[in-house]
Order: sequence, then C-alpha cells, then structure tokens
Amino acid sequence: MSSPDAADVIDRAAGLTPGDPLHSARRFRAKVVGASEASHDALLRQPVEGLSTADRLRVASHVCTIAGARTLAQHYEEQLDEAGGSAVPASAALPAMLRFAAALTTDPRRGDRAALDALRRAGLGDAAIVALAQLVAFLSYQLRVVAGLRAMRASRAEVAP
Amino acid sequence: MIRRNGFTDETLDWRSWLEPLELAQASPLQLEVLDESHPQSRTSPYYLTLAHQPLMLRHRSAAYNAIMYAPGGLPRAERELGAMVVSVTNGCVYCTSVHAQRFEQLARRSDTVEQVFDDPASAGASERERAIARFAVALTQRPDEVGADDIAPLRAVGMSDEEIIDLLHAVAIFGWANRLMQNLGEPAPGPVDAP
Repeated sequence: MSSPDAADVIDRAAGLTPGDPLHSARRFRAKVVGASEASHDALLRQPVEGLSTADRLRVASHVCTIAGARTLAQHYEEQLDEAGGSAVPASAALPAMLRFAAALTTDPRRGDRAALDALRRAGLGDAAIVALAQLVAFLSYQLRVVAGLRAMRASRAEVAP
Repeated sequence: MIRRNGFTDETLDWRSWLEPLELAQASPLQLEVLDESHPQSRTSPYYLTLAHQPLMLRHRSAAYNAIMYAPGGLPRAERELGAMVVSVTNGCVYCTSVHAQRFEQLARRSDTVEQVFDDPASAGASERERAIARFAVALTQRPDEVGADDIAPLRAVGMSDEEIIDLLHAVAIFGWANRLMQNLGEPAPGPVDAP
C-alpha cells in the first residue's frame, strides 16, 4: 500500500492530486481511503482458485466500460496490459463471469439463484463466486465514489472566482 | 410497523444461495475477520458466506464500518437515510429493513421512512433530507451523469465537502452491499415475523 497522502486509484480516476482541496477533504476519512485501496488490491491480486488476476482485470474493465466509468476502465485496461494483456489466456469460464458481472452492474435486481448455478457449471467453486461477486459489487462502489468526487470537482470549478 | 410497496421496517433474516462457512471449519484468520466485521457475524449466513474470502471481507468491513459509524462529519441518521434510499432504489428488501430501523432509532421518527418506501426521489421531511434523498437516487441510478447540478442542492442546504463525501461514501457502499445481498441469497421472514 502507498502512503496515505499519495494519489490512489480513486484520486487518479477522479482527477485529484495531492494538494487539491478535495484530495485533502477525502483524507478526513483516512480509514475509508485506506480500506478502499486495500479492497481494490485484495480483490484483484489475492490468489483465488479458478479466478486469475488477468480475468478479474478483464471483468473490471468490462464493468467500468458498460457503467460509463471511462477513467476507471482505462485504469483496469492498463493493469491488464501490465499483467501480460491478451498473451495471458482467458479461462473458459470468462464469458459466464462477464455475463454475471454485466447483470449485477446494470441491475442488481436481476440476480437470482440461476445466475450462481451458471457460474458453478462454468467451473467456479463457492469461494471463487464470493470473490467474483465481491469484485463486481466493489466496482459499483468505486465508480460511484469516483463519479461523486468528479461532480464535486466540477461544482467547485463553477463557484471558483 | 411500516409495510409499503414490498418494503418493511420489520426484522428479516437472510438465506444464502451458496454454502456458508461452517464455523467448525473456520481458520484463525476467518474467525478474526468475522469478529472484526460485525458483533453477530459468527451466526450470520451473510458474513459466513463472505468469510470464504477473509481478506476481501476484512477490507470491505473496514470501509463499511468507517463509512457508517465513524464520528464527525455527516450525522449518522443522514448516512442511514442515504443507505435506505439506495436500498429502496435498488429493490433490496433486506438492506432496506435494517437501515429503516437504524434511521428510526437515530432520528426518533418514521415519517421519512414511509416517504422513502413510497418514492425515494421525492422523500424527506425537510429541504435537507430531500436534497440528500435526491442525490442518493441520482448517484445510484446514473453515476455516469452526475455533475455540478447534482451537488448544488447539497451545498444550498449547507453541506460541507466533508459531509458530501460522507454522503457519497454511504450511497456508494450500498451500491456494494445491496449487490451482495441481492445476488448471493434472499431475504426470509425474520424471527419475530408478525402475522
């Protein structure tokens, strides 16, 4: 983990740099800042049987793209390139993971038991399904924090002299 | 007791569609993270399901607990209002029941709860509550479109940057919580199910 005063993933996606008033205001909740970044790291990097980091990054970039979170999608694409990009083979379960992720992101009401059975049939165990659901649900959180901070930045720009 | 549009402030249970961790099989790390997460997590199917990934649960719980319980900033009743509005907007009956109760305990009234169950976008007993509810609906439904126009009503009712950040954290973390509750299991009638 980086120093709490550096710019983290959410800062960079929201266009905040150290010294900005909003960068400082976020540090009023330093625990939230730290736990958000630690969640990002664990959800993508913590080893999970049947769920590679490359496939998690593919899911993350897909989720952010369909949610219109352009700067975050770019972040996950860059991370995927650094992890080897298309040279890293995708799991046979990736299409099922992307379908689950898209449904969960666009309409949380669409979830049902059949969606989890589809993941099981694709070869994911319960621990991998928990990891995937946590990642996708976290992205809904992360992209809303970024969107809210961007809106605050736009609002400050409007009231500035 | 409030029941409207499929939502309630009664106590509900939650059933997992996955196999929750058996406590007897839990590792020391899993037990430690369960105890950090919630006082009743050792008997909660929700936390026992998430405990399959203890480090992911640890950081989620650290974020959640700081967002909803840390002192200062946005009054806790208003964080609960945000949580309840998001849960109704996302159709999460279980989360709605929990956070309607918390709001009632903290605010010592339930008028706003009825309004949120009817129409979250217009709910609120004051201009400030209405601004909070409208923002919570906007960030939940159209995160790609929120902008300065959505922040202005919050500033107009006197909210500081820190309070607005607390609100957007509360709204965003229920985007996370609702999705887990709605996609890993379902609500079930609670232990004190009224006739």
